[in-house]
Amino acid sequence: MTLAELKDKLSLKPLNDVYEKELDGAFVSDMVSDVMAGAKPGNVWVTTQTHKNVVAAANLVDVAAVIVTRGRPVSDETLEIASRAELTVFSTDLDTYSLVGKLHEAGV
Amino acid sequence: MARDTCKHSWTMEDVRYGFIVVEKCYHCNEERSYFAAEHTPPKEEYREGEHFWDYMGSSQSVQFNLKCGKCGEVIRLGELLGLMTCSHCTPDCDLHRISRICESQRIWVYGALTFSPDEIATEEMPQKLATLSQYFNDRVRTEGKKILVLPGWLIKDIDVCRGTVLKDVGMYQVEAEPQEA
Repeated sequence: MTLAELKDKLSLKPLNDVYEKELDGAFVSDMVSDVMAGAKPGNVWVTTQTHKNVVAAANLVDVAAVIVTRGRPVSDETLEIASRAELTVFSTDLDTYSLVGKLHEAGV
Repeated sequence: MARDTCKHSWTMEDVRYGFIVVEKCYHCNEERSYFAAEHTPPKEEYREGEHFWDYMGSSQSVQFNLKCGKCGEVIRLGELLGLMTCSHCTPDCDLHRISRICESQRIWVYGALTFSPDEIATEEMPQKLATLSQYFNDRVRTEGKKILVLPGWLIKDIDVCRGTVLKDVGMYQVEAEPQEA
């Protein structure tokens, strides 16, 4: 599934460009250290965290995209760094539990 | 398989969750950091020789080693305190210069922070960081993208560096950081 398909299926709001990437599974955590140790390249990372560390860790592990739940605001600086790293950041008003259910229903 | 001819396939091993603890000697004002693999960061003040170490703060982090799945070689990264990205705060900083050059080639530079200056000067460290770079690059899926982990001693002045350290901050505050004017 591509990020564009995921966006449409889950009605996600892209906060920057939707890059042409295939996703492969999901990882749910609010801890950067957890992502460094446990996330796989191609995962979509579901989190409520929005600080710059998120982009630095996501880029290092090469996750396909970050989904920020509960509509948490993301700073322009974080998005600018994400765009330089060609990392799509999605937002959803859903809480993490609800979003993960929808990801599972969508076959992720 | 012989280690010297092995085309290594690295995996992350011995993952240890814990805390980066920063402490300061109130006798001489020296600061230092270490990794504590404990459920809660140790905050007790203690004496060590001439030093009186006082807890300054901590953040959740992770330590790990790399192991080759083919030949079994293990690269121990116990000296690694964390990784950071450059915020381009100091024009004459070497990490900034290299990061700028590399970024235009889609190479993402991460500075490796270690526990003490003596440790980053060890002969093994460049090879360890090259292996760490290889570990991340072997997993990169984004076409044309590369990861380069460089020693933290390239940072001109760590005390004024505003780089982004990959550690768990804001665990009690999940709102966006205030934007600078």
